[in-house]
Amino acid sequence: MANLRVNLAGVSMRNPILTASGTFGYAKEYEHLVSFDNIGGVTVKGVSPFPSHGNPTPRTTEVYGGMLNAIGLQNPGIDKFIAHPDYLPYLRTLDCAVFVNIWGRTIEQYAEVASRLEDEKQGIAALEINISCPNIKEGGIAFGTDTTQAAAVVRAVRKATSLPLVTKLSPNVTKISDFAKAAVDAGSDMVSLINTIPGMAIDIERRTFKIANKTGGFSGPALKPIAIRMVYETRKAVDVPIIGMGGASCAEDVVEFMMAGANAVAIGTAIFSNPNCLAQIPQDLNNWLDKHNVKDVNDIVGVM
Amino acid sequence: MPKKQHQIDASILANTHLQGEYFRLDLNAPEIARDARPGQFIHLQVPDLEHRILRRPFSIFDTDPQSGRLSIVYKTVGEGTFKLSTCVAGQNVNLIGPLGIGFTEPTGNQRSILVAGGFGCAATFLFAKRAAIKPVVLIGGRSSIDILLQDEYKALGCDLRISTDDGTLGHKGLVTDLLKVALKEMPGALVASCGPNPMLKAVGNIDENAEISLEQPMCCGVGACFACVIKLKDDNDDGWRFARSCMEGPVFKAHKVWWD
Repeated sequence: MANLRVNLAGVSMRNPILTASGTFGYAKEYEHLVSFDNIGGVTVKGVSPFPSHGNPTPRTTEVYGGMLNAIGLQNPGIDKFIAHPDYLPYLRTLDCAVFVNIWGRTIEQYAEVASRLEDEKQGIAALEINISCPNIKEGGIAFGTDTTQAAAVVRAVRKATSLPLVTKLSPNVTKISDFAKAAVDAGSDMVSLINTIPGMAIDIERRTFKIANKTGGFSGPALKPIAIRMVYETRKAVDVPIIGMGGASCAEDVVEFMMAGANAVAIGTAIFSNPNCLAQIPQDLNNWLDKHNVKDVNDIVGVM
Repeated sequence: MPKKQHQIDASILANTHLQGEYFRLDLNAPEIARDARPGQFIHLQVPDLEHRILRRPFSIFDTDPQSGRLSIVYKTVGEGTFKLSTCVAGQNVNLIGPLGIGFTEPTGNQRSILVAGGFGCAATFLFAKRAAIKPVVLIGGRSSIDILLQDEYKALGCDLRISTDDGTLGHKGLVTDLLKVALKEMPGALVASCGPNPMLKAVGNIDENAEISLEQPMCCGVGACFACVIKLKDDNDDGWRFARSCMEGPVFKAHKVWWD
């Protein structure tokens, strides 16, 4: 039995397996299929100061080796997130770390959500700042593709909360490590990467776009080599904890992300295919480590 | 109401070609068969199709809780369902279910009408099977090849009425023509319906209390991804909200649906 416990900037988790924001709702949706005491933590879907409808339908389509989505950050808004029993009160009952993903249309709105959660921080392990959603015009990606803007968002959120901060980075940039550095310099305790990559699919018979937003973020197993490369580059640039993600679906993928430099790994699209993977992966990870005589999962981080 | 959901490997008992592009798949899935209610669905992973990563949702057609059998009816429309049609008895298929909120079932001597378009009649079968007073069943399709499960409904003792667009079977015209007649015969009957969305909208225009099973492209099947949303009327400023059809549906009261 290898040690699987990891510590991310003060957030202690029983193992390095998290769920990726947007693929696991607010956790309650999966309560009948997933045991939360098998995983390190959950990252919930992006919360904004206001309720948001999200994008028109169809919002997703399957493509070779993955899928495109343009959900558009539909969410109940911070008031309902804090008060309604299906959201924060439920998350507080979970026996794993809870990461709350936040977003806004302006820098002030990011700070507003962070400040509201600061007052309600019991049961929240960390905030993940989403500056990388490819599917909404204001907020999200607009902040994630300009280092000055990215730093400004992180600084504003840093002022608003004492919770550990994760900044979720976009792969849609020339040099992702510059954004990691900017986020860390502005006060982010860790970074998570990668978000989805903008893609497009066309129904050639109907001559229509397969999703209403025309473009959507590409996720799934085919994304992994790009994510591995970006985690590797980021590891060389910053020494804060990295949460790696992008196509990870099995324990071997988790090992690969960690060797590239991730301290924890989020599972996303793979949950749609196989919710049970969240129970399987920690088990298989332990077996892999035992088989390779690795006593502590932290020993494989950034070995490349 | 407590939900019971399971993720299981179910072995194929039979995979039978019905007619045209339609197949029937019988699976050994005791946990799901035991808990399934009419109008619920399963989320199925097509075996040996790794580059197609998403599951496919199918309405539950029939169950036998005693033997553990669960059956679906499917139409070959794309790579996933074509692959599924080549699967053979003994093979395992991974399932999640039962999912979603199904139809309200009739109580006591309440009379009911089922309105189905095409193989939507698979989604309403369990309703008919469990109803004490057998419903009037209306099935419409483009042509006679699209009218399925006639023998199965007749075997339950249902009053079965057919319509086809081309008149090759039953009434030449729309299934909603049959609904108007049936509702005159039995005003106040419970109406449950599954089929293409334009048909469901028409059913709702005839009876706003009808329960309709809506179809949207789906990813997770449990409400986590927000892909399969449909518009429901709401008291917010916009008058509507996006509801997750996998979780709050797929069955909705017709008068609650906001049609653009």
